[in-house]
Amino acid sequence: MASLRPSGQQTQIGAMTIARPQSNAPEFRLLATPLVLFLLVFLGFPALVNLVYSVSEVSFETLRQPKFTGLANFLSVWSDAAFWQASWFSLRFGVLTAILECLLGLFLAIFLSPLIERRSWLMAILMLPLMVAPALVGLMYRLVLHEFVGPVPYYLWTYFGASVSFLGPGSAFWTLVVVETLQWTPFTLLLFYMAYQAIPSEIAEASAMDGARSLQRLWFIELPMMGPTIAAALLIRFIDGFRVFDNVYVLTGSGPGGSTASLSIYIYEAFFKQGAIGKAVAASVVLFVASFAVLYSLNALASRRKGAKR
Amino acid sequence: MTFATTKRRALLTAAGIAGLLAATPALAEVTVLGWPGGPEETALRAAADAYNAKPDVAENDKVELLFFNRDGFWDKLQADLAAGSKAFDLNLLATYSIGRYAPFMEPVELSDEAKAVYGDSVLATMQYQGKQYGVPTDLSLHFMYFRKDLIEALLKDDAGKAKYAEISEKYLGKKLEPKTPDEWTWDDYAATALYFTQAVNPDSPTRYGTVLQLKNLLFNIMVWQSVPRAYGANWMDDSGKITVNSDAYRKGLEIYKLLYDNGATPKDSLSYEFAEANAAFASGQVAAMLQWNAAAGDLTSKEKSPAVAEVTETVAPPAGPEGRFTHIHGLGFGLNKNAENKEGAAKFLKWLSSKEAALTYAKNSGAPALTPEVVTEVAVARPDLVKLGEFAGKYGYVMNGATSAKALSVYELQAKEFTGYWSDQQSIDDALANTEKGMADLLK
Repeated sequence: MASLRPSGQQTQIGAMTIARPQSNAPEFRLLATPLVLFLLVFLGFPALVNLVYSVSEVSFETLRQPKFTGLANFLSVWSDAAFWQASWFSLRFGVLTAILECLLGLFLAIFLSPLIERRSWLMAILMLPLMVAPALVGLMYRLVLHEFVGPVPYYLWTYFGASVSFLGPGSAFWTLVVVETLQWTPFTLLLFYMAYQAIPSEIAEASAMDGARSLQRLWFIELPMMGPTIAAALLIRFIDGFRVFDNVYVLTGSGPGGSTASLSIYIYEAFFKQGAIGKAVAASVVLFVASFAVLYSLNALASRRKGAKR
Repeated sequence: MTFATTKRRALLTAAGIAGLLAATPALAEVTVLGWPGGPEETALRAAADAYNAKPDVAENDKVELLFFNRDGFWDKLQADLAAGSKAFDLNLLATYSIGRYAPFMEPVELSDEAKAVYGDSVLATMQYQGKQYGVPTDLSLHFMYFRKDLIEALLKDDAGKAKYAEISEKYLGKKLEPKTPDEWTWDDYAATALYFTQAVNPDSPTRYGTVLQLKNLLFNIMVWQSVPRAYGANWMDDSGKITVNSDAYRKGLEIYKLLYDNGATPKDSLSYEFAEANAAFASGQVAAMLQWNAAAGDLTSKEKSPAVAEVTETVAPPAGPEGRFTHIHGLGFGLNKNAENKEGAAKFLKWLSSKEAALTYAKNSGAPALTPEVVTEVAVARPDLVKLGEFAGKYGYVMNGATSAKALSVYELQAKEFTGYWSDQQSIDDALANTEKGMADLLK
């Protein structure tokens, strides 16, 4: 089996030796310069400005003359009940939608696998919701769920005499979860279908010969082999759900009393609607630090598990 | 051909193109950022076409229009102006946002006819700190839309009157008699809304008595605030003290809460805004609603609202103990401080404030509030403009502080706190106390 072993300026792959460029070589620096400049200009500079604004009193009129106020913006965010309400909304929304999308995507990937194998064009149809911009999805559901225009309330009224409130205070959260799940399940379906297809058929045949039934094969062989893909899908969907903005904003705004304000909506409203630029930026810095801490912890956990397996 | 020759030729060609581009004079049209969609866009297009067709307008001063989406329009405009954008010379302006944008704009000069065309009160909707920042083009206020067939039937029906009295006594604590809508108080409106609600009165011909637009949105507060205003509400008194924690605001909030809790408006009203409310009324399942004047065209059009067009009437909003009121604000156009063609833009603005422009705008779906002398020239084609001018003059009001730099933030705050009360997430005391505190911070 080929061994991959770095050794100074060379990499050994089996019998082959490949020369590796030195990271401090002039051509290496030259090639890296555009990327470094790009990152400095488009990420580094805004990040620096954000850090300055987060500790300043600043408005649209004083963008170029921010006044240093220390940690006042962070304290304001920390003591703002709306910030915690938005954090709780985002966390619940992110976790629930990620789990639902992965469960549904996994079920469809396995259940529809034989059908998609024979008729691959079906996959293109199943992917259609992904092609629609989230803001348009929000608009579409504003029509679909409207009591006097939408088909869903129409049939509920016609056949059951019921006027269901889909976007009222008690049901808006769940309606938003369903809308998000319906749009993004195709993404997890695609990932899981590819992972499922990548499982070698020899393994399935061998387990069948050993007497494993379908459910046993799924539970003990296929799902563990799809594990890394499932974990990646959960993480990606959680991040996307946590930072949700478009469809929620179009459907319910920040909701009555701010009940459907996600963290992204909270930051947007603080920035634009209240003109509290320092507070909005401070909230985004808090969000960045929290996200970094979560990702760092997950990475550390994954590395430890990897080490333990070795 | 050697590589060096090719390289030299390429460099010469590039230098030639660059020189040509530098020598070409910049195109100096007047770019106007307008309010997209709806009658305002139609009217502005017609006015711009009329201006561009004038023989004395120089080629470099022709007007070019620019539109982007209504969603987040004011926020995007705020960001553009603050960034010193030169993408437009003239931009849309609203009464409630003048204070916010004035630092990035320049005062404008109007035509000599402006005063005679619009009158002082309408010109004042585009003024900030004593200076004219814009030309008023459209005036917005509210009408009470109602189904005259239903109201007329109720006024002739003795059994209906008895039921009406019973309902009003049960829900409002006093026996009321049906009246014609032009005589309604807010109690009459509430009683009528409850009477025409099937959840309250199973014999009602409509599912709902009214439709309230209760989404957490600043424009919805503008619609609602004529209720507390009729009971004497104001944002602040003359000394600058915030006065929202008052009986007048409490009464206004409670009337809407009563209607929502008793099913007189759809349960999803907490996510409704202009379009949703119009759709509900147009379905024929609503008896009356308070709505912007801009809805009149659609709701009385047989093509757009066949179920209600022929039976929909409008009057001014109901009265309270302090009188009858309608919120007013104007849309208009002002001059960007960073405009590239200020001279051309100023010429267009001056023309826009003339009688010729106002009549062109009015004949093409716009809603300018014209003086009685001028409106007569379009009264046949636009009878609604006569009502608009009349209501604005008789019942129009602007809350104290509602043209300040933080006016939009105040509306946002009220929308969040008051919808919190209507949706049972907080008490009326908390909603009013939070609003008072927030407004004191914003308007200090």
